[in-house]
Amino acid sequence: MIEPEDRIAAQDVFRALVQRKYAIPFLMDYVQAGFPSPAENYIERVLSLDDLCIYHPEATYFIRVGSDSMIGDRIDRGDFLLWDAYYCSPEVTHGKIVVVQLGEDFAVKRINYVDSNQLILESSNPKYLPIYVNKGDKFKVCGRVTFAFQKLI
Amino acid sequence: MLYGLVDANAFYVSCERSFQPRLEDKPVIVLSNHDGCIVARSDEAKALGIKMSKPLFEYKELIEANNVQVFSSNYALYADMSRRLMSTLTHFVDDVEVYSVDEAFILADGYEGIYPSVRGLGESIRQTVAQWLRIPVSVGFGPTKTLAKVANKLAKKQLELTGVCVLDTQEAIDQALDQFPVGDLWGIGGRYTGMLKGNGVETAAQLRDLPDDWIRQFMTVNGLRLVHELRGTPCKMLELSQPAKKSICAEPGFGTLVPDLETLTDALTSHLSRCCEKLRKQDSLCGAVTVYLKTNKFRKTPGNGLPAKPYYKSITVELPHPTNSTPDLLKYAISGLKAIFAFGYNYQKIGVMLTDLVPFDYRQKGVFVEGPNEKMLQLFTVVDRLNRRYGQDKLRLASQQYNPDWPMKQKYLSPRYTTRWEDILEAK
Repeated sequence: MIEPEDRIAAQDVFRALVQRKYAIPFLMDYVQAGFPSPAENYIERVLSLDDLCIYHPEATYFIRVGSDSMIGDRIDRGDFLLWDAYYCSPEVTHGKIVVVQLGEDFAVKRINYVDSNQLILESSNPKYLPIYVNKGDKFKVCGRVTFAFQKLI
Repeated sequence: MLYGLVDANAFYVSCERSFQPRLEDKPVIVLSNHDGCIVARSDEAKALGIKMSKPLFEYKELIEANNVQVFSSNYALYADMSRRLMSTLTHFVDDVEVYSVDEAFILADGYEGIYPSVRGLGESIRQTVAQWLRIPVSVGFGPTKTLAKVANKLAKKQLELTGVCVLDTQEAIDQALDQFPVGDLWGIGGRYTGMLKGNGVETAAQLRDLPDDWIRQFMTVNGLRLVHELRGTPCKMLELSQPAKKSICAEPGFGTLVPDLETLTDALTSHLSRCCEKLRKQDSLCGAVTVYLKTNKFRKTPGNGLPAKPYYKSITVELPHPTNSTPDLLKYAISGLKAIFAFGYNYQKIGVMLTDLVPFDYRQKGVFVEGPNEKMLQLFTVVDRLNRRYGQDKLRLASQQYNPDWPMKQKYLSPRYTTRWEDILEAK
């Protein structure tokens, strides 16, 4: 039972999810008493991009970049981004690249909290001016961009 | 014991809004297969007087005048969001019973160390789902599943509860049931509502206080279970692993009326293929197939405005041996259809139902008949696998594509944001 004293915040309690099952090699053979098979120590499972990129499967979505406004961060038009809605509070997004809901659209920008009444959405392409968002504007931070995918061929 | 019911508000509408912020605060409706009837409404659409299950055309003017946003059912999107919702709940509690696409029962006992209060648990769930999925949910808690359902309804209705309602004391339960209309109870249909009202029973509290004998006599043992649940004794337990379905059916309506046998056969082939896929997915075989035909019983004859003569007929064909291969079943289904088809009617629906389901390995060789063709059974597992990989109906029976007219009409389909590369969100 979890002790009330060292209370873990509810959102930090995770249950192991059996989403993926991996075949574990089983050697249907007698173990040699002499020199063991040199390959035995190198058995691993196949790498998966999902394991590398997805921290919270329920909260992770894809988005396609529709402009060159983040080119300074090597995010170009047509790139795919992964974003995770687990990260949206000011503490974990300040100064980071985020997906925001601005008016009726989604946008990818770097966010800077000025004070409790104002924040700035910065592009990393000098062509674009920063966007000032004030209290009362139709605006929401949806999550942090976790990975960017670029096609090189 | 404390059960919780987590239910998404206007789930289909909320899924659309999750990816289209422009829909917030606007009236939105979602249509059924073939864009026929209204199956989900936003609060704004409800306020305009749009009713559930009504055909779209009845509100044509209202929709245009108020700029109501109309969507076809985007099942790919809803299924993915549903999966995310259920998976999110497992972060909070161990026992989650997925009850339908948008609601789940949870067992809320034993978390006192983690969540300061039950209300706090409900609020955390609400807040997390809102952040991760951008959809609103309501949470109701009660000592039985039926009371959790009542609590959930109250959480939705009473705005001051902010989406979470806890019925954990006798006073709270009594107060809730005193005002709860008996017809809104889980498991009380229109027929029982009429019967109960005829006997002067208007509220859930009045039903709870009726004698057991009376209830058993007029409402069967299921009614008695419901009443015990209202009194706080759990009769319905959490079903954590769902039992295999006992029957599988499909009866989507046509977009238009269909008079000829050929189109009906095509439709039957498609419905049956879908049913067989489900059958194979749960590893079952079926022993009987039922086919039924329906005309629209409210239809008026165009010339004289008199009610058109209705037609409804069904037939059950028992198979010599259980099977799950589509062509095998289709042979029997078509002969059934031919037997009940009557010339001269405009049909609105053809339905097919697979019954007498048995597990795949529960097969017995008949004495006088041969068992199902093993090769066919194997063939269709391969067909299913190919269709899962390359898209629905990529491989299908020839008669399934005879008429390109009739497959699902989806005029107002939104992008499949989470399941198709070409449909994912775009950042401006």
